[in-house]
Amino acid sequence: MTVELQPGKPQEPGGRVPGGRQPEPGPPRSPRAWWRRPAVHTGVAGAVLGYLLGHLLGNFIAHGYSQVQNSGQNDYAIVLGYVLGTVGWLAGLGVFNDLLRQLAGRPVHAAEEAGDSSSGLARYFRYSLDHKVVGLQYLVGMIGYFLTGGLLAMAIRTELLSPSTHVFSSAAYTEIVGEHGTMMMMMLSSIILGPLGNYLMPLMIGSKRMAFPRIEALSFWLTPAAYLILLSGLMFGGFPFGWTGYAPLSVEATQGADAYAVAFGVMGISLILLGFNIIVTIVCYRAPGMRWSRLPIFVWAILTTSFLMVLAAPVLVGGMYMMITDRTVQTAFFTSDLGGSSYLWENLFWFFGHPEVYILALPGFGIVCEILPVFCRKPLFGYRIAAAGMVGVTLLSFFVWQHHLFDSGINPDMRPVFMLTTELISIPTGFIFLVALGTFWKAKIRFSVPMLFALGFYFNFLIGGISGVFLSDVPADTTEHGTFFVMAHFHYTIMGGLVFAFMGGLYYWLPKMMGIELNQKLGKIHFWTMFVFFNSTFLPLFAVGMAGQPRRVYTYARSLETLNDWVSISAFLLGGSILVFVINFVWSTVIARVPAPGNPWRSRGLEWQIPSPPPPGNFTVVPVVLSGPYEYGVAGAPPVADLDPPLGVISRDSLGDAAEQVEV
Amino acid sequence: MTAAPTAVPAAGTGREPNHGLRIVAIWLPIALAADLLIWFVWGPHLPPGDLSNSAASQQSDLTVMAVLAAPVMAFVLVFAGYALVVWRHREGDDEDGPPIHGNTRVSVAWIAITSALVLSLAVFGTAELVNPAGAGAGEGNTPIWKPGGGAPLQVQVIAQQWRFTYRYPQFGGFESTTLMLPVGQNVQFNVTSLDVIHSFWAYQLGVKADANPDVDNVAYTRPLHTGAVTVRCAELCGLWHADMTTAGRVVTVAAFRGWATATRTQLAPLTKNLPPFTLTYDPNAVAQLGKAFQKAGLSGAGGQYYGPQYPVQP
Amino acid sequence: MSGTLSPPPSSPAPPPEPPEGVTRAAEEASFYHEAALNAAWTGVRLAIGGLSFGFGCFVFAYFYLRSLNSHGMWHPAGFKGPQPWAGALIMALVVVSALLQYLGLTRIKGGHKRPWQLAALAALALGLAAVGLQVWELLNLRFQPGSAGFASVFTGATPVFLIIVLGALIWLETLIMRARAVPAISFVEQPPTYAEAFAVQRFQAGLSAFTVLWNYLAVIAIVFWVLFYVTA
Repeated sequence: MTVELQPGKPQEPGGRVPGGRQPEPGPPRSPRAWWRRPAVHTGVAGAVLGYLLGHLLGNFIAHGYSQVQNSGQNDYAIVLGYVLGTVGWLAGLGVFNDLLRQLAGRPVHAAEEAGDSSSGLARYFRYSLDHKVVGLQYLVGMIGYFLTGGLLAMAIRTELLSPSTHVFSSAAYTEIVGEHGTMMMMMLSSIILGPLGNYLMPLMIGSKRMAFPRIEALSFWLTPAAYLILLSGLMFGGFPFGWTGYAPLSVEATQGADAYAVAFGVMGISLILLGFNIIVTIVCYRAPGMRWSRLPIFVWAILTTSFLMVLAAPVLVGGMYMMITDRTVQTAFFTSDLGGSSYLWENLFWFFGHPEVYILALPGFGIVCEILPVFCRKPLFGYRIAAAGMVGVTLLSFFVWQHHLFDSGINPDMRPVFMLTTELISIPTGFIFLVALGTFWKAKIRFSVPMLFALGFYFNFLIGGISGVFLSDVPADTTEHGTFFVMAHFHYTIMGGLVFAFMGGLYYWLPKMMGIELNQKLGKIHFWTMFVFFNSTFLPLFAVGMAGQPRRVYTYARSLETLNDWVSISAFLLGGSILVFVINFVWSTVIARVPAPGNPWRSRGLEWQIPSPPPPGNFTVVPVVLSGPYEYGVAGAPPVADLDPPLGVISRDSLGDAAEQVEV
Repeated sequence: MTAAPTAVPAAGTGREPNHGLRIVAIWLPIALAADLLIWFVWGPHLPPGDLSNSAASQQSDLTVMAVLAAPVMAFVLVFAGYALVVWRHREGDDEDGPPIHGNTRVSVAWIAITSALVLSLAVFGTAELVNPAGAGAGEGNTPIWKPGGGAPLQVQVIAQQWRFTYRYPQFGGFESTTLMLPVGQNVQFNVTSLDVIHSFWAYQLGVKADANPDVDNVAYTRPLHTGAVTVRCAELCGLWHADMTTAGRVVTVAAFRGWATATRTQLAPLTKNLPPFTLTYDPNAVAQLGKAFQKAGLSGAGGQYYGPQYPVQP
Repeated sequence: MSGTLSPPPSSPAPPPEPPEGVTRAAEEASFYHEAALNAAWTGVRLAIGGLSFGFGCFVFAYFYLRSLNSHGMWHPAGFKGPQPWAGALIMALVVVSALLQYLGLTRIKGGHKRPWQLAALAALALGLAAVGLQVWELLNLRFQPGSAGFASVFTGATPVFLIIVLGALIWLETLIMRARAVPAISFVEQPPTYAEAFAVQRFQAGLSAFTVLWNYLAVIAIVFWVLFYVTA
């Protein structure tokens, strides 16, 4: 049968005129000059206007209040400036246009949903509703945020070269530590869900679109705002409390703390929106035949991560909001004299903060489980176990937050319970290792660059995970808490785990996303330098911490200088290996542009069965999924999907399946 | 599911070696050697040493966990290393691997072993927490695990930006900037703060308790030997967090009594200026304390140490 | 065969006869239409989950600070809380608004568009009145925000509730505007074209989702009223 090519316009969003007739397609909307179309430049204009407006408003509201000494600044003015600046930024980008149209009862154009009508670079600077554009926007954004945080880390290690000779003042060092921690933990929470999740998930579940493209695009455009607000804190002297923001230090701190609170709050909202769209898309937009048991394991990972985001991030936003009201309208949430408690902050922060740790771990699990079968040429061992592990981690992660507070004096009698839940969480985490070892069994392992990063992930996460068990034990934690041991532990799980998985995912999927191959030789150099220097940086830090060096110090015991120097030099070399990545990325995607073969890894994943980069609308026809994505070596396994299903199959299947999908 | 992986029919030619047996044969000696080394060689030198009973319990905790962790790590690494060597892709072989989707027996065994390890660790950790009276960790203002045998020596730790002071209520409530403890006697630290959250970390004693404003956070320990103690702040508390260290000593009971009585007498005129001993202090009393310090010329800082050129925190 | 990039294999069996009148475009449109209806259903429930954690954050603060009662400052003697009549009225306005809207929904389900439009307009007005009253109350606080633990939680939580309610009311307004464009007959009988039927169904799905959210917010209004005015 012939394929009928239809324009990629699967549906109209709500609010259009259903006036009896399909509205005439008519001539395309008159293309306005580029500078009159909403894009980054109008966004910047809106942000500047909004900031000034907010600043004026704040000074007007608070003109009767005393300003903070020696600053000439006012918390009200700054917070309102940030908030209205963010709103202005979004308004300038045109985020609210469709909402205003709906409020006025006018039809909403569906122009940019299925595929951005315009091509070229310009669409990456606009509020584009194409999930592939948003994915690439996220990719560039996240790499930028990561490099910023990485440079701050280099600054930290420079200061720690010597306990007595100082490059930075104590104040500057504290600012740098706070900015590094917040940048990495906050901005990079969506390092995988943003780029890879948004770009690949619809391809992997066989959908032509996302459920809520406007929310998806909004979630990205909030991140530059959060990034700039966070960095702007440096203009007000930064914030002296790391990324954890413990009250009352954070309530008393100078205006830099406003930047921290607003930026973290804005990013929290971005996380909620990102997760919300992803969950609804996975639940409702899977192609016919994409049963839960055929869902790629990466999709399971981002599904569970999204649940963590949607449920935990509101608590973060609430906590940040309380900090802001404490700093501006003088509420007393965290001031014990006035009926508040600093414990309230610790509980709220870590109630988000621990799920956050798994927001940063689960997508990595997903990527490596996705990569292993392809390069082992074997089905994923224990698919159900892997999915169950992720769900188990998600559920348990809401019940472990007080292990950050073992020494704090909060609920000391509950510590055995939190010790138990924390240690229990290593069981589902262990599933991911079982899956890997099982997949290795009698495999045909190919050492391509993505596979190398996946193997590196397992090596690093093994150390990170096992050191986590040491931290879960209250007596051992008494020595380790608040030291470089903890620091080494979470860098092993996040940098060694998440970032390695992210890099593996990039080398694996960039040929899909851009149709361009990353240079494999440079990729191998990148992997080996990063792997060696990562371990050389962070393994000694376990010893440094056990030897008594607390976190976030600009000076330390003289006896630890040799170890610290070793670590610093390794860290610079690690920075160099990231530079290799940047060079490779720029070289491969901008200069060399070697076209990648359609399916360079011979993967069975649904996303690999369509051309690279995917055409607008992803699939010519909604595919019908016939089997799981990991049936390597299975004799007679059906192809993963029928990309050209006979007419009538989808509607039949969708009616039956759709009802079932909602019930599940 | 299929049978155990060892029973999967060989895909290659000739005799398929028994991979499982080989892996165990490599793993077993490595794990055994690692455990013996950890238990006998490394363990006795693990931080935080054995200056106190809480430090010793942490040391033994760390040793036990390392002994359990080493075989697990060794197994994963040996298995993966074996796989990477033996089951790597050979040139010209474009066949896919054997289609093993899972194995119930292996999975159940894995889950059972990890669960058993984890649960036994939780039980062990709880015992180690309860046994030495809270293992040196802060227990809040109503500690439920207390040491037996008479009233302990009470030492109040007052943290502020950026110094610790120690108050001895059983000796008239004088305040000292050095921490002195007698050997062999139970000590009760009452940790509190005057401004932001700090953390009192007496490294060699294995004691760590957050100093929260308006909260009395209790931790117990019992020094076992005499020796030096380093106290550091383990919670970021602002600008000079890194400099918030003091030295301490564990001395003999007689030496401690001598020091305490002498200091008590020496500081009596100062002590009566201090706010009366309570478990927490109103931050408004800070100014009063500072005056008392300056009057006696007692503190290292004396209000001058950090220099006027540094910005005021916050 | 596995994992190779091959042109999609044609189905081994001869393709079944497509059902009468089904074209590729109609088939896909109905597939994604179905998905969008499900998305409204799923999305609003997920949003309620997220909102519950957001409100829960303040409820937690309420009970946590209340149980700690540090310095006896949770609700010190002589502390004069917010105006009880205002609290009761705000709660009542939101609850009545939700009830009205819900009654309107039952009517529009029965095929009567007009009564729903009236009910929705009334619900919108009541909701806006609740928001306005809440703003007035916050501008005329009888206590300093930091004068007690209770005062802090009240001053912090009510604006959040207010913003969420305002967001829901904006949604209601868009629904009212959308309804104007839908012919009343479409709620009685199946419209003649797919496009129209889809538009009506999407409106209905949006309305159902909104109703779930608005009823949920009414429950939250009752919870906050109990916390802030009854048991304080």
